[in-house]
Parts: sequence; structure tokens; C-alpha cells
Amino acid sequence: MTGKKGRWILGISLAALLAVAGGSQVFFLARYPYFRKYAAQNGVTLREAREAWGHPDAISEQMMGLAVEASLENWDKVAELASEDRKTLVGTYYYNLANAHRGQLADRLMDYYQPFERGLFLPVGEKSTPFQIGCAGDVWFALGDMSMAERDAMLGMLFSPSHTGSRFLRRLAETNLVTGDYEAASKYLRMLLNARQDRKWAREHLPEAWSPQYAARIEQKRALLPHFDLVHGMDQTQLILRILLNSNPSNRMALDYLLCYDLLTKDLDAFVGDYVPSLTASHLYEEAMLIFLAAKGGMDPENFRHYHISEETLARFNRFVTIYKRDEGSGKNLTEEFGKTYWYYFYYAVRNEHR
Amino acid sequence: MNTGNRAWLAVFALLLLLACGRRADLRPYGEGTDRTAPIFPDYREVTVPGNIAPLNFYYTDPQGSRFVTTFTAAGQSVTIRGRDVVWKEKEWARILATGADMEVSSQYKTPSGPMSFTWTVHVSPDPIDGYLTYRLIEPGFEVWDDLEIVERNLSTFDARPISDWRNTQNKCMNCHIHAQGRGDLSMFYLRGEGGGAILNRDGKLRKLTLKDSTMISATVYGEIHPGGRYGVFSTNVIIPGMHSFGNRRMEVFDTASDLCVADFDGNRMQTFPETARPDVFETFPVFSADGKWVYYCAAPVKNLPAEVEQTMYSLVRRPFDAETGTLGAPADTVWSASERGLSVCHPKASPDGRWLLFTVADYGTFPINHRECDLRMMDLQTGEVLTLDEVNADKSDTYHSWSSNAKWFVFASKRGDGMFGKPWFSHVSEDGSVTKPFLLPQRDPHFYDTMTRSFNVPDLGNASVGFDAAEIGRVWREMPAEVFD
Repeated sequence: MTGKKGRWILGISLAALLAVAGGSQVFFLARYPYFRKYAAQNGVTLREAREAWGHPDAISEQMMGLAVEASLENWDKVAELASEDRKTLVGTYYYNLANAHRGQLADRLMDYYQPFERGLFLPVGEKSTPFQIGCAGDVWFALGDMSMAERDAMLGMLFSPSHTGSRFLRRLAETNLVTGDYEAASKYLRMLLNARQDRKWAREHLPEAWSPQYAARIEQKRALLPHFDLVHGMDQTQLILRILLNSNPSNRMALDYLLCYDLLTKDLDAFVGDYVPSLTASHLYEEAMLIFLAAKGGMDPENFRHYHISEETLARFNRFVTIYKRDEGSGKNLTEEFGKTYWYYFYYAVRNEHR
Repeated sequence: MNTGNRAWLAVFALLLLLACGRRADLRPYGEGTDRTAPIFPDYREVTVPGNIAPLNFYYTDPQGSRFVTTFTAAGQSVTIRGRDVVWKEKEWARILATGADMEVSSQYKTPSGPMSFTWTVHVSPDPIDGYLTYRLIEPGFEVWDDLEIVERNLSTFDARPISDWRNTQNKCMNCHIHAQGRGDLSMFYLRGEGGGAILNRDGKLRKLTLKDSTMISATVYGEIHPGGRYGVFSTNVIIPGMHSFGNRRMEVFDTASDLCVADFDGNRMQTFPETARPDVFETFPVFSADGKWVYYCAAPVKNLPAEVEQTMYSLVRRPFDAETGTLGAPADTVWSASERGLSVCHPKASPDGRWLLFTVADYGTFPINHRECDLRMMDLQTGEVLTLDEVNADKSDTYHSWSSNAKWFVFASKRGDGMFGKPWFSHVSEDGSVTKPFLLPQRDPHFYDTMTRSFNVPDLGNASVGFDAAEIGRVWREMPAEVFD
């Protein structure tokens, strides 16, 4: 083989290798676009992301998609991505959050996998994954608790591979803009102004550059802030929601989250105490009230009127009870017709501590 | 020049432009932000020791250009051009060695015209201890990742980890404290499995389990006796909570706390009925400079967290017998919380015995998120309490420690962004007057712009501690913890 020929072969081989490598990269990015976007939000390269999180798969791609779209507040897209129920904590969490933004949290709660309260508020603790922690603040930000939202953004950043990331810095900037702590916000805005992909966002969020729409958004968020201070445990979810509601009884999302929390933990006494039928309505709440009224001997027309229980829901409940009694508590003949009711959840959902 | 050369020159210029990168965006700037002064760090009118690293800084006005800064001391002059004022270390050492105050002239252009101002860096003849240890930690609300304790040489920019996550499988570690500013007498905790209190005494490291069956927890806050044999500690049941107001953030409180004494020679823990009362919280014990007293904070027990805002700690002291290692009675109330309507924490006696530096807050025992939390200094000769207005800011100022000559102290302040504690230094004169504090200088003046970790419990030492993170890793892995009973 001549030298010239050898160089040709070497060149062609190298080109082929590069093509394969490049093609593989293109294929990877096409298959896992949200992995790339989530890595960018965490301030890491694809290689660093793979080292930290492993190779993506369909489930992680869906979860990262949910996290990315939620951070951009594309709630329709979040709902679309969550439509495939893969029975994951994060999937349920964003499914619920997307529905809450549309005022449908309660109505659609039982249509999806619900791992008790953990699908409403992602647990932040020793058993939590860094990914879960990085997502946990989104619900608090939506509900108006900037203290918890800031905490979770800080923790998300702490556990992100590079201990930074625009996802968290943006949230830290915004929580402080909402509370009016511009000194704190300015630190994060300056960091974002000096990152190419965040520069435009940061410029628009400098207080002197707010658009009327953004100023209105901040005012809207400020209206949700608690009006009084109370020290609470980090896991006292019901108390935190009640503080929000005490300050702003019209915070419908907080009310629905509190009621759904009560129901998913099967705490019917708390539910009845928290439920204000004039402020929110859902067939879910009707169903829950019927269990309570039946147990407490309150099945009378006055209560049905007060709690807005329709004749249709009452008829279905009676049918559920009839089958339940007939089958001596077995749920096998209830699943098809009542599998998506609160009654079915109340009697048959079992907490799985290992998930 | 031919066309080819021109093309190469153009490419070279383009590459140079790219290499220089884009100028940093300095906004937000001005009133209401964390950059209100024309320079950051604001070294105008500060007092520094003659053994401090160069005070590098930058001009914060985003509209400014053509910056010229001239330093003059004892007839010597240095001019630095550019927004970033970064010293050559030898040049800084030369001008600092004159011992004279530096007169500084700052000049630059703005769209509205030329700007100039003059200022002074006062140079004190009193040196500061050469080393500072601190824990670097993200404000993590109970959890942690990638913790490290660092020792910084204050005369240079050299810093090295003396314990870190790499060598301890990401274990939690609490802050490192020197006794009387001594590099050869210090301690810190490694928490979790394989951990313990790491005692550094006379060049030897030990790992200690400072807990016996009668104590409510392992030891938490405390200090080593000047003689080196004993340590006084609090044991605390610590509960974290959150404020519902967005920028009041985290509140930490104790639901129980007592005091104990560890005998490092006899591997013995001692508790005392007077400082283990169920109706009193006792915490933050420290020794007086002569080792004859233990100062600590005490508060009547409250129902927490409901009554956290009514929890007020007084400053108390008890005699300490260094022969027997016992705390005596009765307790003297040195500073009454109920009389002042404020709560005390973190007392620290100056090594010369003259001063007691402590923190006051509106309530509670963990003031790092209390904006109102300020330093106070008691003259132990007269009992007078100085408010240190020159030192305190509108954010938390706490976690202080003394230089071994008692002429300087360092403290962690959250001034500015309110979230990330940074070390600030202030000089103390014979009459108790203190100087405008200066921020720990860094090689890169923009260092703090992107720093998202707090400098936790900055502590001064007159010598390097001698050990390093690898050695601590071996202690953690291989050394059995000594039992105390």
C-alpha cells in the first residue's frame, strides 16, 4: 500500500468515524430533546448530564420534559406530556399542577395515578432524588408561598450537578422580586445577565424594565403572599396551605390543593373542616362529603343542598354502596364503573411506602 | 502589507476579540440593589492590617469607562487602569510595607461627564492572625452536598481544604473553631457514621464521641479551655422551621438544651444539675480568656414553635474550676434579655480578657436569617455594652471570632444579598472603638458576584492547623472514635 493510498484510507476512516459519532449525537438529541434542555437549565453539558443522571430513557425524558415545560409555564404542554400516565411521582405532580392551573385539580384528580399526597407535593428529604427536589418548588411558587419556593430552588441548585443552573437562579430571582427583596434578586439577576442563554430573560426582569404584563404578574403573585408570619415545620403542608388561605380566602388553587391533600390522605375530618362549598366545587368533593355524611348520619336533603351534592352523584353513591355491601367489601365489581371515583380510592387505595 | 498578511491580521484580531470575551454585565446597580457603592467590595475608608492580601475591587457603575485608580502612600505611588483593580502582589506588599495610610484617587468617565472621588485605606500597625478557617456551605435548609472546611492564608490568596466531601463520602461537617486563635488547638465535627469530634491538639488528631447516656444529644456548640484539657459544650435538640413571610426564611430553635464539660485527658463527660434544668434552655457556652468562667446563653423554656418570638436568651456566666473540670454556682446574669427586650447568642471573649463580643436579635437562638441581628461588645472591665454601629449592617451580622492579639475580629455578615454570609474584618482600639469593616479580599474582584455558598463561622488562627483534608479522610476511615463516659 502506497503512502498516498494509506492516507486516503485513514482520512476516509476518520470521516466515517466522525459521521457515525455526529450522527449518533444527532440521533440522541432528536430522541431526547428534553434531556438536553434540562441539562442546559442545570448549567451542565450533555456529557456531564449523562455522568450525573445516567443515560436517559422514555420515562426520564417525559419527566424532564414536564420539568422544562413547567419552568416555562407552558401548562398546555405540561398537560399534553403528562397525558401518558407512567405512574411516576413527578408525572403525577405535574399532571396535578397543570390541572390546577386550569381549575381542574379536583375534577381530574382520580383520573390519574395518585400516590397519596406525594403527587401533590413532592417529598423533600433523604429519600428524595435530586430531580424531585429540583421540581418540588414549582407548586409552592404557583400557590404563592415564596418562602417554600425559594427553599426548594436553593435545594434544587444545591443538588444540581454544577450547583447552579438557570432553572434555579430564575426562580430565586423571581421569588425575591415577588417578596420585594430586590437586593437578593439583584444577585441572581446579575448572574443570569452574564449567562448567554439567560441574558434576555434577565434584562426583561430587571425591575426598571418590567413590561406591564410582567408587573401585573408580580402583583398577582404578591396578592397571594401570606399577610402574617408563622413559623412552621417544613413538612406541615396543611398548615402552610391554611396560612395562605387565611391571608387570602380567594386563593382557589391553595384551597383545592388543601382539600385534595385532605382527601388523598383520607383525612375526612380535616376535609370537612377546610371545605367551603361557596368557594370551590367538584364532583370529587361531593363524593367525599357523601362518605362523611353516610358515616356520621347526616344523609339529609339539607346537607345535600348545603354541600351542593347533585341527585346524580347521590344515585351513583347509593349504587356503589349497594354493590360494596352485596360483595362484602370486595372491589372487583366496582373497578370498571367506580374506579375513578373518590369512593373507590377511599376504600381500596393502599399507601406504598417503597415507591 | 500584502492581502494575505492583512487577512491573517484580521483573523488574529477576531480571535483576540473572542478570547477577551464579552465584558461582564454589572447590572443591577445602585440604590435598592446589592451594589450601592461605586466600588465593590467597598474598601473606601476601611482599616486593614499590614499583613492582608491585596484589596482587589471593581467599579460598579455600568456606564463608566476609562477608569484610573492611583494609590499613594509614604511618597510611593501606584496607578492601575481599568474597571477591575487587580494588584500585583509584590507591588501591594511593597506599598503596604510603608505602614502609611493609602490615599486613593478614583477617576473615570460617565455619559454625564467625568467622575472622580478620593478615599483612604487606613493601615493599622496591629497585624491580624494569618489564617482564617470557614465552612463553605450553600444555604441548604437542613441538607448539604459537597461541604468543605477551608483554611485561607490572609496574606495571600492561598486557600486549601482542611476537611472536605471528597475524602469523607460527602459527610456533614460542622464548623472549625480555634481555641484562643491557636493553630495547634482546634476542633470541628464530622457527623454521621465514622464521624466524631475531631480534636487537633499539639499536632495530634483525635476522633472523639462526645456523648454519654445522660446527655440529650451529642455535643453541638462549644469551645476548648485555654489550657487545652477541657471543652465546654451545649447539647441541643435542634428543630428547623420556616417563616411564612418570604424573606424571613428559616428559623431554627431548640426544644431542649443543656451544658456539659468534656475532659479530653480523662475521656470523661460531666453534666451538672444546674445546667441541665428542664425549665431552662442553656446554649453557646464559651470560656473567659483566663479560663475561670463559662459564659453562655440561657432562656426560660417556651412552647415551640408557637412561642418562638417570645424566646429570649440572657447572657449568663458561671465559675469554672480547671482543677476538677466543673461548673460552679451561682450563675450571674451578665446581660438580661427581659430588661433589654433582645435575645443574645454566640458570646466570644477576646483573648486578652478585655471584651466579650456577642450577637443580639429580636428573639430566638439562630439569628443567621434575622435581618435585625447585630453585634454588641461588652467591656468586661466596666460592664459597658457598645453597639458597634460602624460594624453592623441591615442584615444578619454574627458568627464572630477574635484574632489572638484581640485587635481584630472577623464576623459573617449577610449584608447585600441577604442570603450568603461573607467574612468581614474590623479593628478594635484600646478604647473599644471599631473601624468600618472590610470584606475578605479575593484575587478575582468579581469572585463574590457568582459565589452561591456562605462562608460559615469564619474563625481566625495565628498559625496553620497543620492537617489537611486527606488526613481527615484517613481519620474518618481508619481511626476508631474514642469513647467518653
